[in-house]
Amino acid sequence: MEIQVAIIILLIAAIIGALALFLIATILQLFKINAGLSVVLPLVGQIVSKTGPVNPVVDDINANLVVTRDALENLMLKKGGPDSAGLVESLFPGEGAKFLRRVNRSGKVVNVGTVYTRGVGILASLGRGAPIGAAHAKGAAVRDAQYSTTEVAKLYPAPPDRRNPNLNIPKAPVIGKDPVHSPYEPALTPGARTRDATGKKIEAPPPAPEAPAPAPAASGGGGGGGGGGGGGAAPAPPALGRLSGKGLRPWER
Amino acid sequence: MADAALWLMVIVLIVAALLLVKLLQRILKAATSIPPKIDAIAGVAAAASRDLDAVAVLLTTQGYIGSIRNSVLDYGGSLNAALPDY
Repeated sequence: MEIQVAIIILLIAAIIGALALFLIATILQLFKINAGLSVVLPLVGQIVSKTGPVNPVVDDINANLVVTRDALENLMLKKGGPDSAGLVESLFPGEGAKFLRRVNRSGKVVNVGTVYTRGVGILASLGRGAPIGAAHAKGAAVRDAQYSTTEVAKLYPAPPDRRNPNLNIPKAPVIGKDPVHSPYEPALTPGARTRDATGKKIEAPPPAPEAPAPAPAASGGGGGGGGGGGGGAAPAPPALGRLSGKGLRPWER
Repeated sequence: MADAALWLMVIVLIVAALLLVKLLQRILKAATSIPPKIDAIAGVAAAASRDLDAVAVLLTTQGYIGSIRNSVLDYGGSLNAALPDY
């Protein structure tokens, strides 16, 4: 045998040996991979089964939140008008413009939490009849952050103190005869009572007496009586006197 | 002439054997790198599966959100009646 043939045979044997060695090692690694995947797959199955009901639950939660948000936004829009976007902006910065887009409105969003102090905001929201509220309802904010409380003080001017005229008496916004802003509507029948002290409805106001009412006939004490007179002319109806617990008062007898 | 052909075949076989060993080494290296990663994935999956046990709390949250919605709607209805419109 020539030496070349022997080398070739040796080389082929070495190649086959290397193939066998590496392939066996690779097969062993594949067995390890298979075992590892058999561990991982059940865990992945658990994850899938646990996350399965999440979507409908989250969808339901989102739907409830959207319903609640829409209801509150509509309520705020109904009660607050143009101020509602500013209220939203003051609570959630950046959300005022989104709120306007959601309700198909446009305009400038004024952050009421920045422009107004809390007390001023409440006063302005309470009384649109007051100058502060009226101006605010028509246009942009009328006060700035620095002097906002001064504007409130102008609403209800404080009178000077009698003892020390240099001081002013802080005047509370009391509802009086002619208040700056009254939450009450004017009475339809001023000065007239429609119900008596016991709550019974009064049909018509009694006519003003021209002469003092005649004293009722003294008919035997306070409890009895009843049919007094019995003369020819029809007796005038007895005037109603005040009744106390003991009967008529002395000057009414 | 025949000798040259045999020597050429020897050279070709040597080169082929070297290339084969190189390729098989790469395959084996790739195969050996997979099991540690699978073990890591198994650990992460087990932890994720444990974390997802809290998903059941979402059902409680769902109930709370429904109650809150009803309360807010009731409260909003009262405010609608109590406050004047703009």
